[in-house]
Order: sequence, then C-alpha cells, then structure tokens
Amino acid sequence: MNSETTEKKGVWRVVQREVARMLSQPVYVFCMVVAPLIGFLFFTTLMGKGLPMDIPVGVVDEDNTSITRQVLRNLDAFQQTAIVKQYANFGEAREAMQQGKIYAFYYIPEGTTELALSSKQPTVSFYTNAAYLIPASLEYRDMKTMAELASGAIARETLYAKGYADSQVMGILQPIKMEMHAISNPGLNYSQYLSNILLPAMLMLLIFQVTIYSIHSEVKEGTSKHWLELADNNIYKALAGKLLPQLLVWMVMGATYLVLLYAYWDFPLKSGLWPMALASLLLIVVSQAFGVFLCEALPSLRWALSIATLWGVLSFPISGFSFPQIAFPAPLKALSYLFPLRHYYLIYVDQALNGLPLHYSWVNYAALLVFLALPLLFPNRLKKCLLEYQYTR
Amino acid sequence: MKWLHNILEVFREELHNSIFDEGVIVFFFVVPLLYPLLYAYLYGHETVREVPTVVVDLANSTTSREFLRKVDATADVEIVGHCADMQEAKDLIHRRKAHCLIYIPVEFDYALMEGRQAVVELYSDMGSMLYYKAVLASCTEVSLAMNQDIKTQRLVGATEKQASTFAYPIKYEYVPMFNTQSGFATFLIPAVLVMVIQQTMVLGIGMMAGEETEKKRRGILEPHVIGKKPIEMLFGKSAAYLAIYAVISAYVFCLVPRWFHLAQIGHWTDLVAFLFPYLLACLFFSMTLSGIAHNREVFIIIFVFVSVPLLFISGISWPTCSVPEFWKVVSWLFPSTFGINGYVKINSMGAVLRDVKPELIGLWIQTIVYGITAWLLYYRSYGKHLKDIIEVAEERLQARWADYL
Repeated sequence: MNSETTEKKGVWRVVQREVARMLSQPVYVFCMVVAPLIGFLFFTTLMGKGLPMDIPVGVVDEDNTSITRQVLRNLDAFQQTAIVKQYANFGEAREAMQQGKIYAFYYIPEGTTELALSSKQPTVSFYTNAAYLIPASLEYRDMKTMAELASGAIARETLYAKGYADSQVMGILQPIKMEMHAISNPGLNYSQYLSNILLPAMLMLLIFQVTIYSIHSEVKEGTSKHWLELADNNIYKALAGKLLPQLLVWMVMGATYLVLLYAYWDFPLKSGLWPMALASLLLIVVSQAFGVFLCEALPSLRWALSIATLWGVLSFPISGFSFPQIAFPAPLKALSYLFPLRHYYLIYVDQALNGLPLHYSWVNYAALLVFLALPLLFPNRLKKCLLEYQYTR
Repeated sequence: MKWLHNILEVFREELHNSIFDEGVIVFFFVVPLLYPLLYAYLYGHETVREVPTVVVDLANSTTSREFLRKVDATADVEIVGHCADMQEAKDLIHRRKAHCLIYIPVEFDYALMEGRQAVVELYSDMGSMLYYKAVLASCTEVSLAMNQDIKTQRLVGATEKQASTFAYPIKYEYVPMFNTQSGFATFLIPAVLVMVIQQTMVLGIGMMAGEETEKKRRGILEPHVIGKKPIEMLFGKSAAYLAIYAVISAYVFCLVPRWFHLAQIGHWTDLVAFLFPYLLACLFFSMTLSGIAHNREVFIIIFVFVSVPLLFISGISWPTCSVPEFWKVVSWLFPSTFGINGYVKINSMGAVLRDVKPELIGLWIQTIVYGITAWLLYYRSYGKHLKDIIEVAEERLQARWADYL
C-alpha cells in the first residue's frame, strides 16, 4: 500500500498507464490499427474503379441471322457487359443464371429479323437477375442505351434518306428527351456512394467496442481501483486519461480514411476539407462518448459490448446511405436520428456532395454534440461500478 | 457404449450452459430472433416510392403540365413544389424538402412546335442511388408514352403502330427476374439471414470457449469435461450447438421470409440439403476460431466488424466477377460466402441442388477442413493439456490441504 500512496497521480499518469496497457495487449493493436487498416484497404481495393466491368451476360439467339448477330456484336462493345456464352434455348440460359454463371441474358425469338424487315416490330427481351441488384441495374442501363442506339440508327438513316434535316430527325424519333444530371456523381460511382459511409461506420463500430473493452476490462481484471486512484479518485480525470491516448490513435485512423476518400480516390469534397474533418472528429469523439455512456448504463462488460454491437451494426442500414430513410416505416424513421452515423451521413451529403454553406447542416453538427454529452448523465454509476463491481463470470 | 454416454453428457451440459448463460443467450437467441425482424421491417417497403421532387416549369404549357401531371401520377415520384427558378428549387433540395428536380426550359414548347427535340433536365441528389433511379425511370416512362402520340402527329399519314415501329423497329423488353420489383428486401434480406447464422455462432461459441479458457486459467474445470476424450467433447458440443441452430434456422429461414412475404421458391429438400453443410461448416469454423479466444469478450470486438466486409465479399451486392482475385480467395475461408450464394440461388431463384454444386462442394470442404482443425484444437485443450491442468489443480489442492493441516 505504501508504494501506491507515494505514486505520482493525475491525468498524465493515467495516460502513461493507458499507453502501456494498449501496447501490452495485442487486442488493442489489432482493433485500433490493424482492423481499421484492413477494413479501409478492403473497400479501397474491392471496388477498384468504382463500377463493376464486364459483367457476364448470356444470349439466346433463336433467330441467328446476320442482323441479330450484328445487334449482339454491338452489345458486347459496352464496357460493363461481356457476352460470355450463347445458349440454345431459354431454359438453358435460365439455368445458367440460377447457377450464377451469368447475371443476365438477351432472348431473341425466332423470326425476329423477318418481323423487323416487314415492319411488324418484334420484341427482344432482356432478362436480368434482380436478386443481385447492383449488376442488374447496371445492365439495365447498358441495355437501355443499346436499344436506343440500335433502334435509332436504322430509323435515322431512313429519315435522312427522306430528306429530313438533322434537327428534325431527333424531333421525330424522340420528341421529348430526358437529360439526367447526377449531382456530384455523374459516373454513378458505387465506390464513392458506399465507401464514404462504410469506412467511418467501421471505425465507429471499433471505437464503440474498444472504448467499452478498455473501461470494463479493468473491472474484470480487478485493476479498476488502481486506475481510479491514479486519477485522484476523480472519474472525469480517469476517463480523460484513458480516452485521450486512444483518441489520438483514432484521429490518425480518421485522417487515414479522409486521405483515402478525398485524396487517393478523389471523391467530391465540395465543401473543402474542414467541414468533413470536423464531422469525422465529432463522429470519433461521439463514438467514444457513446461507449462510455454504455459502460455507465450497463455495469457489465458483456452487456455493454453486446448492446454496442447491436447499435453499431444497426447503424449501417438505419443511417439511410444505401436504402433511403424516406422509405423506412415511420417508427424507424424517427429512431434513425438516435444513431450518430445518420447525422454524419446527412452532413456528408450536405457538405462533401452538395457543398452547402455550413449553416445548412448545423442541426446535425449540434445533434452530434448532444451525443457528446451522454456520458455526463450518470458518471457516478460508473465510478461506483469501478470501485465495487465484482466480475462474476 | 461409454463413448455415447460421454457424448450425451457433454451434449446435455453444453446445452444447459448455452441456455443459461445470459451473454451467450444474446448471440444464440436474441440476435438471430431480433435482427432478421428488424431488417425485414426496415426494408419492408422494398423500394422507395413517392420521392419528393420539385419542379421548375419555365415552359408552363399544356404539354409541359401534362408531362408533370403524368409524372406526379407515377408510383415513384411525388411533386412537392413548383418553383419559379432553379435557385429556389435547389434551395428546397438543400433543405431536404425534396431530393430530385425536374427542369423544363422555356425552349421546351418552341422545340415541340417546331418539330425539334425538346429536352427535359432531371437532377438528383446523389445521397442515394434510389432517388436517381426513381426520377429517371418515372420520367422516361412518361416521356416514352407521350412521344408515341407526338410521333404519330409528326409522321404525316402514319398510324400509331407505324410510328412506333418506325422509331423502334425492334422493341426491347426488360424483365427483372427473381425480384420483379427490384426490391431491396428481396435482394438483401436473404444474405443477412445467412450472415446472421454464421456471425452469431462465431460470437456465441467464441464466448463460451473464452469462458472456459478463463476458468482454466484460474484452475477451474467444468466437471463434465473430465474423463472425456477430445473427440467426444467435439461431438457432444457440436450436437448441442447444432440442436440450437436447427431451431434457429427453422425460424430464420422459414418463418421470417414467410412473415415478411419474401420470395421462397426453393424446394425444401434442396434447402435442407444445402443448409445442413452450411451449419456444419459454420460450426467447425466457429470452433476453430474459438481457439484464439483467450477470454469471454475478445471475440466480440475482433469479429463483429468483419460482418460488413463479409457481406460485400460474398458477391451479393458487389458482383463476384468484379471481386479482385485476392479477396475472392479470402472469401472462400468463410462459410458465409458459399452460404449466401447458395441460399439466394435456391431460395430466391429456385435453383435445385445441382445448380449450387460449387457452393455445396465448398461448404463440405470447409466442413472437413475446419472439422479437422477443430478436432486438433480440442485435442490440444482437452487432451494432454487437460491432464496437466488437472495435475496442477490436484497439486494445489494437496498443497492447501497440507497448509490446512
């Protein structure tokens, strides 16, 4: 006991102790450095150029004339589709689709050419496997473009031959035309669309868990009293000393994903770096705060971790970055605002994608700040737990 | 029959442990019961309908108003405001009152009158790809119908049919199979269901193994462990977890899709024949991984974050053909990769067992390989190692006795 009373105390001492703990337990190194880097690397390398190329597509050409073959050659020229195989009939192609060998196929029924030549407008069908939604919707786009081009080409020639002027031709073929502008993502880059939220979300999940583990494992190992004593029995000092060195590591990780997203990938960052840097910093600190809050609310390592896991994993869909929030059932729509990631996502849309002035997003920044106040709710419960709780399992 | 008795004893004890440990209950029961419901509820609307859209109609003519009226009537778009200029409209989007913008320029009407091509501009907030899809599909659909009429007027003397044939000598028809409304739930929920099984098994079994390791470190042994061969431990435990997951799987794969009206077009015998090796592969995979669980909780923090990358690596959203070789090989380490693809094929696409042969082979290989590694692991922890622990414990006990006496 004597040695303890003469020991130096204060936040700085807790920081030193925490650094030593982080370095001595591999689980910290893994979850704070290795895991986030693997995650970042995974998503950066997985989606390559941001759009899947050469999705395998099949063909059932029951007509098999020089014209249908020409149409198929045109199809193959598209970047996103690659015709890999001809099938003898519809059944075979469907089977190949069920086996996952192709994601879509064209079906050209017998007599197509004849009908086309006699102006009876035959139908060529395009079947996609919509159970795989992303390739299906990309192929749909290729098919649409191709259909426009193929049809237009023949008709255009005829009209020119009849002496129509350039401006009139398109007016006849397609009197009203849609011109689509995808604000900030003209190429419909999927990587941009997903990575911007997936990377911070993974980091958030890890922060929840490491924060909780680092606090409650002290109780479990029976070292929590020592930790508090070093902090002059002040729970705020104790937490500050513990979380500061972790925060530094998280900030480096946060900076890493910002560099990856906005420098390496060069995704749109219309607002400039600072609004997003601020959002990332807030998300990191809020995740720590949320972890502390769970430790206060649930004085048991396994429960706090379990709830954090549920909350963290649920954050992904409920933030609305893939399936939009306006399509949620009403109760979940309301619930979504209790997830920090939802606010981060809204800030990202306002700032990075749309480049709005900061005041448009102030509500979301403010909401993140409110989360930050969560640990102030009942810090004494945590202190009591650190002093008295006996780990039973 | 000693061995059978041993296995049954381990089975009983392990079942008891899983059902009465609140930490394990969370992963074995609460998550598999709750998560599928949450996801199915969340994605219940399948796709986004009535995307709030603003309009800047500078042409303000009969045709433009007709166009907008028809777009408003589609299921996917709802016009929530008419603005005088782009600035006002963009402001509405920025304040999240709307997500898309339809802009009809002044020239629209002149172009139509002069027989030129009239252009309607669409803008979409790219916060979600689904907004983009909704507004583009709806407007294209309406414009195609209107074009038909206009074309008939312009090609003097042509009937509607002739006009249509002229512009489109060949008609193209788009048929989304296996998910007719291109819905989100139909696409994602099956994958989530399969993933939930693997992840909860890894976490639950990891937690139980971690607990045992913790206790061993303190010199405590579960009584039913003593006197059992490693292989008996392996079979007893496997049987217990399998029993639990047979029930969970019945719920996850039969009831949840039924309640939420998801596609279930597979034949049940195919499904059972496929899910059985999936459960086995998951089981031995979890047991193998549990070898590194040196305490109860460490697994949760290490393994949870993997769920999302695993979902992507499986090919359910990002197509397998575009997954880089390296990650493809990594994905073969996880039962979920084969599980998701096979289950989606059978359940959502009506494939039969021979269509999922590669996945089935993958799962059986995993079952064998992870079965062997799990056995080696059990050999280490319940074989010689266990004897050492018992010896140490006995020595300690004797030492205490000596002290006491």
